[in-house]
Amino acid sequence: MKIPVGIPVFVAAAGTNPNFAKMVSRWLISAGVWLLFASVVGLLEAFRLVDPEILADYAWLTFGRMRPVHTMTMLFGWASMALVGLAFYVVAKSTLAPMHEPMKKAELFLANLAMVLCNVGVAVGAVAMAMGDVNAGREYREWPWYAMAPVFVAVGICGLLFYRMVARRAVEGIYISCWFVMAACFWMAIVVVMGYQTFWTAGIPDRIVDGFYIHNAVGMWFTPLCVGMTYYALPKLLNKPIYSYALGVLGFFTHLVFYTVIGTHHYIFTPLPMILQTTAVICSVAMIVPVWASTGNFLMTMKGEGLAISHSYSLPFLFVGVVGYGLASVQGSAEALRFVQEVLHFTHYTVGHAHFAMYVFVTFLIWGCIYGLVPRMTGREPPILLVSIHFWLALAGIAVYVIGLSVGGHVQGESWLEGEPMMESVRVSAPYMVWRAVGGLLMVVSHIFFFVCLWRMRPGAFTMAYAGAGK
Amino acid sequence: MGLNIHTNHRMLFFIPAISYLVLVYLCAVWPAMVEMEAMEAVPKPFEDELPAIGRKLYGSYNCVTCHTQQIRGDERKATDVDGVRTTPVLTADARFGRELATRAEEYAWQDPVFMGTQRTGPDLSSTGRRLPAVQWHYWHLYNPQAVSPGSLMPPHRFLFTTTPPPPDEEFDYEEVLVIEGLGVKSDRLWATPDAKALVEYLLSLKREHLEQGRLAK
Ligand code: HEC
Ligand code: HEM
Ligand code: HEM
Repeated sequence: MKIPVGIPVFVAAAGTNPNFAKMVSRWLISAGVWLLFASVVGLLEAFRLVDPEILADYAWLTFGRMRPVHTMTMLFGWASMALVGLAFYVVAKSTLAPMHEPMKKAELFLANLAMVLCNVGVAVGAVAMAMGDVNAGREYREWPWYAMAPVFVAVGICGLLFYRMVARRAVEGIYISCWFVMAACFWMAIVVVMGYQTFWTAGIPDRIVDGFYIHNAVGMWFTPLCVGMTYYALPKLLNKPIYSYALGVLGFFTHLVFYTVIGTHHYIFTPLPMILQTTAVICSVAMIVPVWASTGNFLMTMKGEGLAISHSYSLPFLFVGVVGYGLASVQGSAEALRFVQEVLHFTHYTVGHAHFAMYVFVTFLIWGCIYGLVPRMTGREPPILLVSIHFWLALAGIAVYVIGLSVGGHVQGESWLEGEPMMESVRVSAPYMVWRAVGGLLMVVSHIFFFVCLWRMRPGAFTMAYAGAGK
Repeated sequence: MGLNIHTNHRMLFFIPAISYLVLVYLCAVWPAMVEMEAMEAVPKPFEDELPAIGRKLYGSYNCVTCHTQQIRGDERKATDVDGVRTTPVLTADARFGRELATRAEEYAWQDPVFMGTQRTGPDLSSTGRRLPAVQWHYWHLYNPQAVSPGSLMPPHRFLFTTTPPPPDEEFDYEEVLVIEGLGVKSDRLWATPDAKALVEYLLSLKREHLEQGRLAK
C-alpha cells in the first residue's frame, strides 16, 4: 500500500482563473443552500408521518404540497446544480483547458446566467407548488411549466458550453467523463420535453410517458453526471489511472440502451402494454452490466488504496458513493421483478430505495467530488474535523433511514398480503416512521456541517493571490 | 479526426443523441401513440361540474402522493369469462377491488391520471361506493384521527370555516354535523365550496361504468 503523493491543493489551484472559480462556486453554494432548504422540508414531512398534526393549519404547508417541494428542490436545486457546477471544472480539467482561461468571457457570462436561471426556476417552482399550482400525479415534474422553463434553458446553455469546451480540447482523445456530461445534457433536454409536452396524451399513454420520465430523469441525468464526475475525481485523488478505460466505454453504451427502456417498471401489473412491462423487467435486470462496469471499475481502481482512503477526507465519500451506486442499483433490479413488486410496490420500501440511490450514491459522490476537487480550484481546504463530523453523521443518518424504511416497507407489504385492514398496515409501520425521522434529523444536522465546509472552500483572497502564478 | 468517437466530438455527440431519440421513440412515443388510438375509441365520459373542480383540488392538494387509484391485476393469468376478459386481482390489492383489476378504459381521457405510486393511505378507486356518506368525508377531511384513530392523513381544516357563510353564498357552503372528537372550537362548522367539490369528486369514484350488472357485488 502506498499513500499517493499528490501536490498540495494551493499548488494545484495556482493559476486558476478566479472568475471561473467563482462561477463554479456559485453553482455549488446555490446547491448547498437548496440542500439545506429541502432538508428542512424533508424533515418536516418525516415528522408529519409520525404526527400529522404538525403545522397542519396552513393550506400552503400541507403534506401533499411540501412533498414535491422536497423532492423537486433536492433533485433540481441540490443534485443538479451541484453536478453541473462540478462538471464545468471536470470538463475544463479533462480537456486540458488552460486554467487561466478555461472559458471565454462570453461563455463565463452564459454559465453564470444559467446558474441564475436554475435558481429562479427552483424558487419559482417551490412557491408555485406551495400556492397550489402542482402538476399533480406527475412525479418529479410537479413544477408548473413556467418553473421548468428556465431550468430547461439552463440545461441547454450548459450542454452547449460543455460541447464547445470539449470541441477545443488540447488533447486528441476525449476523456470518458466528457462523454457522460455531454450526453447527459442532451438526454435531459429530451426528458424534459417528453415530461412537459402533455397535450398529446391522456389515460394510459399519459402513464407510459410517466414511467419513461421518472426513470429517465434519474437514469439519464443524475446517474451519468455522477458517474462522469467519479471517472475524473477518483483517479485524480488516488493519483493513478482508472483501472479499465474499455469498461467505461462498455458502461456508457449499455447504460444508454438499458436505462432508456426500463421506465415501465413503475407500472408493473397495470393495464400498460405487456410488452413494455416485460421489457422493463428484463432490462432492469440487465442494468447490472452498466452498473457493475462502472462500480467494478471504480472498486478495482480503489483496490489496495485502503490507506490512502482512510487518510483522505474526500475519498471516503467517494468510496461510500461508489458502493452505494452498486448496491442501490442491484436493489433496484431486484425491485423490478414481478414477485418482489407484488409485495413491495406502493410501500415505504420504495422511498428507502429512492433515498439509498439519491443519497448514498448521488449525494455522497457529489460530496466526495466537492471535497476532493474544490480545494484544487480555490486553494482553500475545509476544516477536517467538520468534514469528519459531516461524514459520520450523514452515514449514520442514512443507515437508520434506509434500514428503517426497508424493514417498515416489508412489514407494510406483508400486512397487505395478509389481507388485514388498511389501518393495521399504518399501525405496524408506524415505528419505522420514527426511525426515518431520527435518521433524517442526523442527516439534516450533517448538512449544516457540510455547508460550513463548503463556505470555507469558497474562492477568496487566496485564490486571487495565486491566480497569476501559473500564467 | 476520422469517425472515431474517441477522438471526434461530433460523432461522440450525435451517436448517443440519435440512438437515444430512436429508443425514446420506440419505448415511449410510439407505444403512447398506439395506446392513444385505443383510448380514443372509448367514448368521452360525461363529467359533472362539481366533481371536475374537485378533481383539480385533489391535484392541487396532491392527495395522489399518498393514495393510489389502481387495482393491480396479473395480466398473464387473465381468462375469458363469458366473452369478457377478466384479470385476477393481486392478493395485496384484493381488499380494494375484489371484483376486477383496473382496466385501461377506466383511465380513458383522464389528464392527468391519478394512478399513484405510493399507498401510504388506502386506494381510492372506489371510495364513492365504499364510503357514500358525505358527512363522513367532511369529518374525515377535517380531522382524520376523529374517525380513523391512528391515521397518518393530514387534517385539511383549512377547507372548513366556523364563521357562517354570507347569506348570498349560503348555497355554496354546506353545514357539517359537529360530532364529538372532531375538535372544533365552535359549535357550528361549514364546508367551503372547495371541500364540497372535493368530496363530490371522492363520491364520484365508483368504477360504476364497469358494473353493468355482470360484476358480483
Ligand atoms: C400523508 C399521506 C396522506 C395524504 C397527503 C392524504 N391522505 Fe387520505 N388517507 C391517508 C391515510 C393513512 C388514510 C387511512 C386512514 C384514514 O382513514 O384516515 C387515508 C384515508 C383516506 C380516505 C378514506 C379511504 C378509505 O377507503 O378508508 C379518503 C377518502 C382520503 N384519505 C382522501 C384524501 C384526500 C381527498 C386527500 C387530499 C386532500 C388525502 N386523502 C390526502 C393518508 C393521506
Ligand atoms: C435531509 C434528509 C432527508 C429527509 C428527512 C427526507 C425525507 C423525505 C420524506 C419524508 C419523503 C416523503 C416520503 C413519503 O411520502 O412517504 C421523501 C421523499 C423523497 N426524497 Fe427525501 N429526505 C431527505 C433527503 C433527501 C435527499 C438528499 C434527496 C435527493 C437528493 C431526497 C430525495 C427524495 C425523493 C426522490 C423522494 C420521493 C421518493 C418516492 O417517491 O419514492 N431526499 N424524503
Ligand atoms: C439499475 C438500476 C436501477 C433499477 C433497476 C431501479 C429500479 C427501480 C424500481 C423497480 C423502482 C420502483 C419501485 C416501486 O415503486 O415499486 C424504483 C424506484 C425509484 N428509483 Fe430506482 N432503480 C435503479 C437505480 C436507481 C438510481 C441510480 C436512482 C437515483 C439516481 C434511482 C432512483 C429511484 C427513485 C427516486 C425511485 C422512486 C420513484 C417513485 O417513487 O415513483 N434508482 N427503482
